[in-house]
Amino acid sequence: MSFESQADDIEHDVFSGEPFFSRPGGKIFIIWLILTAVGVLIGFYAPHHLLPSLDASTGTDVFRTIVFFTVLAAPVAGFVYAVAAYSLIAWRHTGDQDEPPPDGPAVRGNGPMTVLWLVVSTLLVIVLLVWGLAVWSAQQVTHPNTLQVNVTGQQWFWTFSYPGTNIETRSLVLPLNRPVEFNVTSVDVTHGFWPVNMGNQVDANPGEVTVLRTTPNRMGHFEVRCSQLCGLYHSFMYASGSVVTPSQFSRWLRSQGASATSANQIARVSTS
Amino acid sequence: MAITTTEHGDAHGDGAGHGDLAGSGGHHETAEQRDHKERLALWIFVGGDAVFLLLELFTWFYLRALNTGGLWRGTSCTKASPCTDGLGNPITQEIAKANPWYSVGVAALAVISALLIWAVERSSRNRDSRGVISGAAGLALLALLATVALQIYQFQVLPFTTIDGAYASTYEFFMGSTLAHLILVTFIGFGLWNRARQGRYDEGNWHRVRIIRFFAVWIAVTACVLTVVSSLFS
Amino acid sequence: MEDSPIGPRAGGLYRRQNFVTALGFGIVLGFIGWLVSHQLLQGSNWGSDMVVTVTMVAWVVGFNIGMGTFNAPIRWALGHDPSHEDELYAAGVGQGSSRYWKFCTDHKVVGTQYLVLVMVLFGVGGTLAMMIRTQLITPHSSFLDPQTYNAIVTIHGMCMIIATIIMVSGPFTNFVVPIMIGAKDMAFPRLNAMSFWVVVSAVPCLLSTFFLGGVNAGWTTYAPLSVQAPPAMDAFAITIITFVVSVTVAGINTIVTVITMRAKGMTMGRLPIFVWGSVIGGALGLYAMPAFLMAMTGMITDRVTGTSFFVPQVGGSAWLWENVFWIMGHPEVYVILLPPVAALLEVASTFSRKPVFGYKVLVAGMVAIASLSIMVWAHHMFTTGWAPDLAGPFMLTTELISIPTGIIFLCVIGTIWKGSIWTRLPMYFVYLFLWNFIIGGVTGIYLSDVPADQFFHGDMFVTAHFHYTLLGGAMIGATAALCYWFPKVTARMLNERIGKVAFWMIAIGIQITYFGQFWEGFQGMPRRVAYYDPIFLRANQMSTAGAYLLMLGWIVLLYAMIHSIRHGKRAPANPWYSKTLEWHVPTPVPMENFLVDPVVTSDPYTYGEPEPEEPSRPEPELVPVGTSEQSGTGGDV
Repeated sequence: MSFESQADDIEHDVFSGEPFFSRPGGKIFIIWLILTAVGVLIGFYAPHHLLPSLDASTGTDVFRTIVFFTVLAAPVAGFVYAVAAYSLIAWRHTGDQDEPPPDGPAVRGNGPMTVLWLVVSTLLVIVLLVWGLAVWSAQQVTHPNTLQVNVTGQQWFWTFSYPGTNIETRSLVLPLNRPVEFNVTSVDVTHGFWPVNMGNQVDANPGEVTVLRTTPNRMGHFEVRCSQLCGLYHSFMYASGSVVTPSQFSRWLRSQGASATSANQIARVSTS
Repeated sequence: MAITTTEHGDAHGDGAGHGDLAGSGGHHETAEQRDHKERLALWIFVGGDAVFLLLELFTWFYLRALNTGGLWRGTSCTKASPCTDGLGNPITQEIAKANPWYSVGVAALAVISALLIWAVERSSRNRDSRGVISGAAGLALLALLATVALQIYQFQVLPFTTIDGAYASTYEFFMGSTLAHLILVTFIGFGLWNRARQGRYDEGNWHRVRIIRFFAVWIAVTACVLTVVSSLFS
Repeated sequence: MEDSPIGPRAGGLYRRQNFVTALGFGIVLGFIGWLVSHQLLQGSNWGSDMVVTVTMVAWVVGFNIGMGTFNAPIRWALGHDPSHEDELYAAGVGQGSSRYWKFCTDHKVVGTQYLVLVMVLFGVGGTLAMMIRTQLITPHSSFLDPQTYNAIVTIHGMCMIIATIIMVSGPFTNFVVPIMIGAKDMAFPRLNAMSFWVVVSAVPCLLSTFFLGGVNAGWTTYAPLSVQAPPAMDAFAITIITFVVSVTVAGINTIVTVITMRAKGMTMGRLPIFVWGSVIGGALGLYAMPAFLMAMTGMITDRVTGTSFFVPQVGGSAWLWENVFWIMGHPEVYVILLPPVAALLEVASTFSRKPVFGYKVLVAGMVAIASLSIMVWAHHMFTTGWAPDLAGPFMLTTELISIPTGIIFLCVIGTIWKGSIWTRLPMYFVYLFLWNFIIGGVTGIYLSDVPADQFFHGDMFVTAHFHYTLLGGAMIGATAALCYWFPKVTARMLNERIGKVAFWMIAIGIQITYFGQFWEGFQGMPRRVAYYDPIFLRANQMSTAGAYLLMLGWIVLLYAMIHSIRHGKRAPANPWYSKTLEWHVPTPVPMENFLVDPVVTSDPYTYGEPEPEEPSRPEPELVPVGTSEQSGTGGDV
């Protein structure tokens, strides 16, 4: 494919003697700079202030990804917006609006610009992909110390059980800094097991068991919501959760009916 | 856009081939132009139908691989640990495989029907007499009706119903899809026979017959593919 | 009427068929279907599902019998071919405005009919949206009960999906593309009329769901929830199956028209970019619609005969539903997007007085988008747990799509670059598109990242993303198309003063509504909920306020349209001084579009280029339509 490259105009701009910031390219550059700065600021402000507190390793992954992607997107968005804005400032026809303006230059394309655009967008995609794959594969790593929790969704509540005990509870308690693996299923329709503050989720499918891995790294209360429409009371399908110290966890297990030995074993605390 | 204009000259070369259905919308076009449009439309439609066929196959193989709850064919269902069918009744043994020969018969009859339609086309191309052409079309229609009849009959002789797990469901879905396609082709075959009797395909007016032949061949192909999969991969 | 060129008996059965007979036959046959199935099947397993299915099918078939959709195939089978006069009647000759209520094969009539249908569908879908947003003004509103809310969410979604699929391909592809390529009509005018009336027959099925218990599973109707849904779900499935037929036929028609009916000199390389967008979108629909058909027929058999496709308890799989659905669902959003984007490029070119930038790259880009869209579907299933090993590959394909999508941005701003920007109303929407689609596209990239999607899936962030792309992007492109071709279709100029008021209300309304929803999403609000945690209150109030402003904006635009049709300035043939062929035929457009066959000698983007030397020739004599000298009545067909 050959393009009818009428790059004269652009080359003339870049290499001619006019001062840079008086030329279209220069002015667009300034607008772009401002918009990019705004975008970057949004990237640092919005996730930090709007996301819920993220209390797990996977939550940190989400936060960093959102910030990184926003900062990367800012110059791209800024460029499109800058050109659009400048076009209305500098090239707008201001005469009689009922008459068409005189024709613009018969530029049908710009080979170098197109190639540059493709190259830059490909590079961006590669960066995004590498980032995403790196984070994703790190999340797949299994640890020897993993706590197993079984999660069962049904219309319209969650039940949690801890293998090694007979406990079944409606609230989810987890020990701090311990990798956890949720084995999730449903007994009726598809639900979405979403411990929001952990920053990840997996569907609860009837007839299948799916796995979710994370490591809670902050103490406190967290929310579990249902993220997959599951019928009448989907809006009410939530559970409360908390991240506690291992010994608190062991005490809680015992309070739910586990024997002291199994509680200590699951919580990995020495018998006290 | 720069355009020049030309008088609408005589674009007709439409001696032969106008016996069959008048051009769409009354616009002038030659028989060749109309045939080109209709063939293109047919192939695009076949493309869409091929996507549907691929998804039928995807459904078969995916459910078979997942074997959710062991209920593809219920191989692990026993009296001791029964499974449940679509109405809540217990399934205590493996679901029997369907007799593949019925599907083979349907596919074979579909192929025969397509061949007979091809015979109609050949007769028309050879400018055979109206009697020969319509006779061939009549035979093709009979073959199509037989195919439909056999496909319907197969539903009665199945050793399972749709509630008996995923294999049974998908098997019957294949049969239903074949039946639907066959009914469509049979309607077209009826039109073919009727119009052949009226002499529409005399004098070498074979374009439309060819398009019908293409479609009948496609239906035969889909019937064969579904038969192979449902027979070999139970 | 003045001398009609056709006799009083031309048209046969079509003379007696119109929207009223269609309704009549539909209701009668539907009632008979209900009666018969009810007698035969009541008390049987799945009886009520079978009854609803049979009734809905009977309605659709009856409506189309009464409309005349089946006339041609049956006449073909019987060997009673229509005469030339019958064809002219079917094309609307001698009927005045009653032809808009009939099976009319004139592509301009079909295009206008689609325009009205699309506006009705947006009205219905928009009303449902306002009910949703009104419910969400407070965390625990008593405005709607949960079942009704879920049903409204579902039908809002499906109604909008139907509307957006046809919003450009229905009115504008049909009206404009044949003229743009120098043809007299579409390749298959009867199929064109059929595709319209088939959609019309599907709409009551969709709305009947509210009276059959309501579909409570969202427009994506995930199984097994949808398999358990009330009989409304059967009506929903029949709606889709009917709709699929229409879109498939329309896609075939568009592709064959463009390939076979271009005027002399109109090479593929000279086609206006809108034609490419229409063709590529139509072709992609032909891939997606069979998948929808597969999903819905499996759904019907699961509900009506107890098959085990999607119900795990009997050997089926919810993941099968999700896979087949999204194999349809993702290409489908590009079916929605490509025609409006291509229309937008025509507008950008005309109102920058410059050629479309990077025509070949743009066409290649649209083809790339369509091809890649077939390989990304499981990004909707990152959190289902169905195949963790496939997360990486689908993340790759999904992020790759941003490359050709980026090309579209390059070409829009390249077209604008150093142009003489004529800020008439259609051009306003080009700028709004640029603003909105960047936001929609970038947020899509967040969702394509698997770890990030694990937070956002099923959350209002997703809702905001797809509203930015579908409403802020595609629908704004469609609005640009509407404002652009309004003079050609209605023969009136659209009142720009009122239109600009509408524009600003819509533009600002979109930002407030959907930034509110991004806020909700960041905070962690799930989607499709009727009640929410009070921490989401502010964001919801913002979104609802924006929605009301947006709604008012659309109403003002509607008012502008109606006001202009009734009192607007008469439009000249080419008010925008554009170069595509549709602007070079008179307004109103003559029956067969061109009085003489055009011969094309260049593409329509010769802005800034000197006019070629016209060979001197006498002006061809223009004769009015309907006289014996008009091309098209010569000889028997």
